[in-house]
Amino acid sequence: MSLVIRKYIPQLIVSVIIVLSVTFYYIYINDSIAKGFSTADKALSDWAVIVTSFALIVGGVDILRFHLTKIRREGIRQAPFSTVTIALLIIMVVLATIGWYYSYADPKAGITITTQPQFRWLYSNLYAPADSAMYSILVFYIASASYRAFRVRNPPALLLLVTAVIVMLGNTTIGGLIWPGFLGLRDWIMTVPNTAAFRPITIGAGLGTIILGLRLLTWREISWMGRRD
Amino acid sequence: MSRSISLGKILESRELLYTLLLISVILPIIHPLGIPIAVSARTKAVYDYIENNLKPGCHVYFEIYYEVAARGELEPNVVALTKHLFDKGCKIVYGSLASFGVIVFELMKTTAADVFQGREYGKDYVFLGYVAGGESAAASLAKSIKGTVSVDNYGNRIENLPLMQEVDKATDFDLVIIASSGTDTFAYYVRQWYTPYNVPLLFAALSIIAPSIEPYVGAKQAVGMLVGQRAGAEYETLVGRLGLGMASMDAQSTSHMLVLVFIVIGNVVYWSQRLSSKRGGGK
Amino acid sequence: MISWDILGAWLSAAMVVWIYSFAYRDNLFYKLAEHMFVGAAAGYSIALALDSLNRVMIKPAITTPETFWTTSWHYVVPAILGVLMFAKYSRKYYWLARYAVAVNIAVGTGLALRTVPIANITRQITATIVPLWGSDPVTVLNNWLLVLITIGALTYFLFTIFPRRAEGARPSPLYYVYRTLYYIGIYGMMVGFGALFANTIMTRVGFLISIYLIYLQPQYWATIVAAILAAIAILLPLIRKK
Repeated sequence: MSLVIRKYIPQLIVSVIIVLSVTFYYIYINDSIAKGFSTADKALSDWAVIVTSFALIVGGVDILRFHLTKIRREGIRQAPFSTVTIALLIIMVVLATIGWYYSYADPKAGITITTQPQFRWLYSNLYAPADSAMYSILVFYIASASYRAFRVRNPPALLLLVTAVIVMLGNTTIGGLIWPGFLGLRDWIMTVPNTAAFRPITIGAGLGTIILGLRLLTWREISWMGRRD
Repeated sequence: MSRSISLGKILESRELLYTLLLISVILPIIHPLGIPIAVSARTKAVYDYIENNLKPGCHVYFEIYYEVAARGELEPNVVALTKHLFDKGCKIVYGSLASFGVIVFELMKTTAADVFQGREYGKDYVFLGYVAGGESAAASLAKSIKGTVSVDNYGNRIENLPLMQEVDKATDFDLVIIASSGTDTFAYYVRQWYTPYNVPLLFAALSIIAPSIEPYVGAKQAVGMLVGQRAGAEYETLVGRLGLGMASMDAQSTSHMLVLVFIVIGNVVYWSQRLSSKRGGGK
Repeated sequence: MISWDILGAWLSAAMVVWIYSFAYRDNLFYKLAEHMFVGAAAGYSIALALDSLNRVMIKPAITTPETFWTTSWHYVVPAILGVLMFAKYSRKYYWLARYAVAVNIAVGTGLALRTVPIANITRQITATIVPLWGSDPVTVLNNWLLVLITIGALTYFLFTIFPRRAEGARPSPLYYVYRTLYYIGIYGMMVGFGALFANTIMTRVGFLISIYLIYLQPQYWATIVAAILAAIAILLPLIRKK
């Protein structure tokens, strides 16, 4: 019985929802049933939205737990950075809650959870620049790798390099000064050989999605359940 | 040959490479080179599509799905497209399937205040805000916007906005533009807006993800694509409003040339060392 | 008295410079910036989740309860499932969280499953069926390249059906066909990856340029001060080591 509740019922839920989802899309019986299907389909989508929101909260709580454990084990002196993380997390959540309160207490003020002024200040001046910097720091490693790792050792690598050079010159204005044809050549590379090269990848990704769906449907895919029983 | 090997030893220091890259980016911004830009056929095709197919009063759905980091690549495209659409008399419904879309939209509006000048919120454009749920949300919006969101980003009830009384579902729109820094978003709209309802899609993508979404454009699931900062700069010249795109092109040129130099020197040094060690081994 | 705007601008510049300093060496200021970012990001994601729940469920339930409890009463079910997700922290009741994850996974897979065969497979295949002869030689050449590279790359991926040949036996014509397509696929993909590499550089440099224009250029002094602090944090341990 316990295995049924712990393992088989969740898998049954997955199978039933997948079958329902596909049925709502493909099966047509008559107009009133189609309308019912459409409403039910939207309800399923909304359920996923609500569950995803809770998943985000659980993720935030996970980070809190991790750093609290670190402070408990090492003490605040040894884990000052964890203190900073926890403090900022709590501050952001408190500010968001204040915004939430004001959205009901004084709707005319136009303050909501994400437009609370101090919350917005922290997002714009702390989170956004740090996020941008994290994304763009890779450019340094690409520059370093282009000198240290990009070696032409065989004909395919030479073809890769030649294509990269043509597209790079086509992407920049200086390429147009060297030879105006780089722009047209770049467009041709993107529309013909590049499309042809990535088309099987798109098809393969589609096949992979179908296979994953069928594995979930037939209870063969259980990695999503996490801990094994 | 020994000179190339000495040069190779100097450039082994990654700190030097990073510093050279920073200089190649910062210097042209401080002292612009003013290299002229040619408009590519693909960007022109997008411009012509909007010119020839959208009439005054048309409705466009605009998905904003890029983070603050990607503003440099995508904001020029978004602003230029917005200007073009407003000049054509189109009405735009903005939305975002990503949480950061809300902030990015506000930043875009601040940067492009002149583009939105004279446009009335609620009549000419609406911003739905963040709609959580990814592909589910995209599917839900395609069926009914009013059924998915009850208030817009600023707390106004959707049914009270004049523009939202004209549109509600995917088929009410003449064009859907997706400006995204992730591959998945394009797939969501292809699967949930184009495949069931045949709504024309237009992509504005980061250069890095453009190769992987080319198949959708090649299969005519999208009417065209604007790729990265270069396309943004080209579109800015077409609509007559130069901005961040054009300001960045000189720095793009110099940094690209630097990376090309690194690649060439790296291979020259590598082959010099390899050939000299072969000759030394042959003796 | 420093205004919040100026303080915010200095904080942004410092965050960017300290995170970039990691490219040179790990240092105290990078760790500080990283942990501040993690805390802010976690808090932001929780805030967004609350906002989403507020829009979809809580606000309609409070402002229009009659409509909500008539048409959307079923939202209580995912709300309960969402709360059950916290059961993952329990050693005894961790399995309760699986119900919510099941709903999420199933809806996502179902949505993808019903349109992927058309969008990702059928349309891609039909787009590859192009005329291989005609009056315009450029179009014909492009079409041949499109078809050959697509089939070649598919052959490369489906290597499990590469025909074997017995030791010493003469290869069959089919073997040569497969080999040709296999190598066309490889070279075609090299062209694709070369374009990908070039576009990657464009994107990353674009990020760097926009960060400089938005955060660093307007705040020269903040940038310089943050860079000096990071340089001290990097050089001090090196000097102490020596």
